[in-house]
Amino acid sequence: MSSLISSPEPPSSAPHPGPRHRSAPGWFLNGMRHGISVPALVLFASYTGFGALLQGVNFPLGAGLLSTLLIWALPAQVILVGGLVAGTALPALALAIGLSSMRLLPMVVSVAPYMRGPRRNVFAELLCSHYVAMTLWLEGLRLLPHLPGEARVPFTLGLGNMLLSVSVTGTAVGYLIAGSLPGPIAAAFLFLTPLSFSVLMVRNAVGFTDWLALAAGFLIMPFALGLDGGLDLLIAGVGGGSLAYVAGRLRRGRA
Amino acid sequence: MSWQLGEGAAILIVVLVGFLPTEVWRTLAVLAGRRVEAGSEVFLWVKAVAAALLAAVVARLLFDPAAPLQVVPLAVRLAAVAGGVLAFMLTRRSVFVGVLVGEALLVGAILAFGG
Repeated sequence: MSSLISSPEPPSSAPHPGPRHRSAPGWFLNGMRHGISVPALVLFASYTGFGALLQGVNFPLGAGLLSTLLIWALPAQVILVGGLVAGTALPALALAIGLSSMRLLPMVVSVAPYMRGPRRNVFAELLCSHYVAMTLWLEGLRLLPHLPGEARVPFTLGLGNMLLSVSVTGTAVGYLIAGSLPGPIAAAFLFLTPLSFSVLMVRNAVGFTDWLALAAGFLIMPFALGLDGGLDLLIAGVGGGSLAYVAGRLRRGRA
Repeated sequence: MSWQLGEGAAILIVVLVGFLPTEVWRTLAVLAGRRVEAGSEVFLWVKAVAAALLAAVVARLLFDPAAPLQVVPLAVRLAAVAGGVLAFMLTRRSVFVGVLVGEALLVGAILAFGG
């Protein structure tokens, strides 16, 4: 999967590890400071859109905030809320979310070596891995390799908690604002999630299989909309994706 | 919208249906990550399914949206998304410009054709 924030950083925002001998709280604060950034602004805007979506479908605010805190993967959250509204059966929804979140596995595998202290600590590794989503993955791969071993866990936790706080705030702000907006602005706000996801999906599509998967999911869905119990999501998502995979594999075989 | 979920039930669903199926992959990556090949066939399939799932959900949000967007005709919603994506591709792939143009098209159409 290609990057969400791919523009090369100007030299001014290149990582400045600063003094080599910070305490753990010092590294935590340093990580938090690096969490106030352009990618954080993008996260904030995305999550206000998600907050507006929650409000638009009457999803309880507390559970919506908890979804940002615990799931911490916007595609999975959008699938969850979209699926619930459409009356998707819960096991089918869990399967769809599991499949959508499986991309986190290779992301964690690739960044985990930089999120370890000098000594192996599985609990710290599991805790750090929770913060891995698109933004922390990209920022982690950019910043963490420059840091000394003892800095990596507190820095990751500072960065992760800052990004998470920004996103939870965005969710709440979007939810609370969306209810009091006049019609056209409420519509524009609610439009933010499908619009920005469409642009990001096009941005992340790199090959034949990616494009075919997007097209299949998007085009099959309208025809599957009426089906009961979450079949629509499974047919369009799992069916369309598998179709794209097979077509891509056949194409590779012939090339 | 008539659909309504209590806070307790919603929290339970967030944890069981949203959190667990997501967190299992992060946990598995830490505990067994070294034995996983990132370029394997299974991963290519998962990548395609993840992309199609997301595209399907986005399609549903566009074809069957919540109330404030229902007053906007389907053709306008689709055209605004298409315009945003096109602007993204024409402007050196700026996500910001793409989203801005898509939103401008939507709001412009609402104001022009009455809302």
